Amino acid sequence: MENAGRAPQVLTAHAAGLVGCVQCGRVHRPDVMYCDRCGAVVTPPDPSSLQRVWAWLLAGLIVYIPANVFPMLRTSILGQTTDSTIYGGVVDLVHHGSYGIAAIVFVASIIIPCAKFVAIIFLALTVQRRVRISTHARHKLYEVVEFIGRWSMIDVFVVAILSSLVQLDFAASINPGIAAVSFALSVAFTMISAESFDSRLIWNADGEDYNNG
Amino acid sequence: MAEPQPAQMKVEGPKRSFWRNLSLAWLVPIGALAVTLGVAWQSYNERGTLIEIRFENAAGVVPEETTIRYRDVTVGMVEKIEFSSDLSSVVVTASIDDLVAEGLTRDAQFWVVRPEVSASGISGLSTVLSGVYIEAGFVPQTDTGTSAAESTTFEGLDTPPLVKPGMKGTRIVLRAATGTQLSAGAPIFHQGIEVGRIETPRLIDSGNGVIADAFIDAPYDKRLTTATRFWDTSGFNVSFGAAGFNFSVESLSTLIRGGVAFGTVFSGGEPVPSRYVFDLFDDSEAARDSVYSDLTDNAVTLTIAFDQSVSGLTVGSPVTFSGLKIGQVQALGAFIDDVDGEQEVKLRASVSIDPRAFGLDPDTPQEDTLGFLGDKVRDGLRARLASEGLFSTGLMIELIELPIGQPTASFDPDDPQIPSVESNIDDLTTTAQGVLTRIDNLPIEEMIEQITATLGSIERLVGNEEMQQVPGSVNGLLTDARGLIGSEGFQTLPDELSATVGELRTIAEDLRTADLVGTLTRALDSAANAADTVNAMAGDLEGAASEIPGLVAEARALVKKANTLPLEAFVNRASDLLDSADRLIDSEDARALPGALTRAFDEAQRALAELRQGGVVENANATLASARDAAAAIEEAAQTLPALSRRIGSLVGQAETTIGGYADNSEFNRETVSALREVREAAEALTKLARQIERNPNSLLFGR
Repeated sequence: MENAGRAPQVLTAHAAGLVGCVQCGRVHRPDVMYCDRCGAVVTPPDPSSLQRVWAWLLAGLIVYIPANVFPMLRTSILGQTTDSTIYGGVVDLVHHGSYGIAAIVFVASIIIPCAKFVAIIFLALTVQRRVRISTHARHKLYEVVEFIGRWSMIDVFVVAILSSLVQLDFAASINPGIAAVSFALSVAFTMISAESFDSRLIWNADGEDYNNG
Repeated sequence: MAEPQPAQMKVEGPKRSFWRNLSLAWLVPIGALAVTLGVAWQSYNERGTLIEIRFENAAGVVPEETTIRYRDVTVGMVEKIEFSSDLSSVVVTASIDDLVAEGLTRDAQFWVVRPEVSASGISGLSTVLSGVYIEAGFVPQTDTGTSAAESTTFEGLDTPPLVKPGMKGTRIVLRAATGTQLSAGAPIFHQGIEVGRIETPRLIDSGNGVIADAFIDAPYDKRLTTATRFWDTSGFNVSFGAAGFNFSVESLSTLIRGGVAFGTVFSGGEPVPSRYVFDLFDDSEAARDSVYSDLTDNAVTLTIAFDQSVSGLTVGSPVTFSGLKIGQVQALGAFIDDVDGEQEVKLRASVSIDPRAFGLDPDTPQEDTLGFLGDKVRDGLRARLASEGLFSTGLMIELIELPIGQPTASFDPDDPQIPSVESNIDDLTTTAQGVLTRIDNLPIEEMIEQITATLGSIERLVGNEEMQQVPGSVNGLLTDARGLIGSEGFQTLPDELSATVGELRTIAEDLRTADLVGTLTRALDSAANAADTVNAMAGDLEGAASEIPGLVAEARALVKKANTLPLEAFVNRASDLLDSADRLIDSEDARALPGALTRAFDEAQRALAELRQGGVVENANATLASARDAAAAIEEAAQTLPALSRRIGSLVGQAETTIGGYADNSEFNRETVSALREVREAAEALTKLARQIERNPNSLLFGR
């Protein structure tokens, strides 16, 4: 793959006038409606799918703002209610000396979502543009984004579990805040955004470049 | 196989518009944006209005934790605490619900609720666990026109206000000379019911007094009128008067916190506005006396000129009419009066008189009041000085009405004056002083000394052992005396006497019926005859014996003598004697003698019993006196005994000699003589008894 990524002479299916199946990867003639192997609908790469990517991404970004501004957890201990946001929770954990957990939360709740936004934006932007990064590397990036996106939900799981476990009435109780919902939505939206991205477009653009070049 | 042809991908359909090209997915971010904005908007709304409250210190206030409460409902949260720019106070920034913020008025009060223990009780206990909170108090604005919060900066109170805004009632101001009666939170009573509270007193700016805001709860504030007076009930009240020692405490809490009470002291008061100033009096008496001391605004001022000294009259001295205070002296001064070209210094007092005192309407115009007074002056209203009291050197002005017919006086409404008349104030004072001097001169001390000495001697007397034995001896004596009187012999004594006298009487009767005199006469006649016979015989005998004529002569003389004997008178006298003896014995006195003695002893014994019971020495005197009386009565009775016995003795002696002279051995004679002897013995016994009594009256009492 390393070699292939850098080999300009590789002929892509797009360059060959064929259409790859999105599900199993088998290439077909453009007039074939259904994939011979898996029976999925064979569609040509659609540049307009980028619209959906951008739309979901934007939605994810929008809801990511309240996820960070509003409190994630509402902790009531002996009548005193404390609201804590994601970032505030990380800071609290650091202050309490739980650096490991603080790092996990920080990575899962802040770094990964932010990196995902950046990655998707990068991929979407580079579909139609010539960039230094090879199509292989970009495809790999796409794979990583698609894989890692679900792990951002770890924070939402923590909140859900705590909320259901710690309900001791007056003594102590933990309730999810608005941010929990927002964050879950944000993760979901970015995942949908990543799913909407047609990875063939990476290669198409490359092919066009190739052709043009 | 031919080289595969690249597929013709450039299939250009009709140019699709930008909008047709749009994906439905764009609805998602739009929706997300809408929802996010909605959430943001909502939380912005919830954030409420930021206000700033200045406190002197922020003890216990924690940002993001301390809540703001209104009527015990959380309406906000402290956001941050910082110093004011000059570090003089703490500025607490808090967010308040918009709904509440709209109702906030400029005079809204904020105070920190902390646990507090005071005489009034324990408050704020819940904050021990939850931490302090800031309580807001204000009267919500009801007019929607100016709904916007008037102010966002407030001054916090250091201590909770005693009267929270919004409480229904009337706020008044109490004014007192000192603040000792006024303490913050002290209750206000009306007829024993707590109806309000006093707030923290503060000095009047001028410094000569203390004022305190007070609050009377609705509906009791309806009782507040211009006729209401406040007085102090704090602590306890001790009075010592004719009714004795009096100690009263209004309530236990007033003992600790103090308190005031109010009451309506006259009818016809008008409702008072808020922040009406009331004076605080020392006690209810002073409050009630003050009815006319504070004059209404339209009191009329008059002047009164006096010729006399006004020493003792001061500004504020009362002006009375028929004993009722109607005004007070406002000013005193002297002026020079030009009387007949002679300048004379006169003293003038300005007095203000309350129209209400005469039953006029408080709003009566001054002209009308003056007119009324002018009429009165023309009718004879005069002023004179009077003493304020018997023991007071203060003077007051007394308005009196002279009887009709006095010289009239003019009245100028522009320079209203009440003519004065001479008062007898000096005499009165002199008299009073005289009385006092006399009281002073009373030899009270000597009297007391004497009384003390007397009491001392009485005490000594009573303490004397002999004296203490007296009641026992007297009682024994009385018992003995009673035994004597109760003895049969004594009881039968009068009867015996009576019997003796009866015997004597029968003897006398016998004597009378026996025709003793006739017999005697006849005997003497026969003796004369015998003598004659003897004489004749002697004549016959002729000298037979020369002695016979002498014998005859003797016989004749004897008969003559016998004839001349006052026998009749003797018998009569004996009879009289016997009668009187009988009367004596029969008399009530003699008969009642034992009874009287018995009663006297009974009395004595009762007195002794009393003496013994009561142990009162005074009774002893009376008892002894009555005993002495009894003894005197006994003596008196006894003194008649010797007389009686003497008379009986003389009678018997006479009778004996008489009878003894006539008959020798006749039975009658013997009986008579023995009877007489018995009588004599009885008489002698009586005499003995009487003598003994006379010699020693006690013997009767002691039985010996």
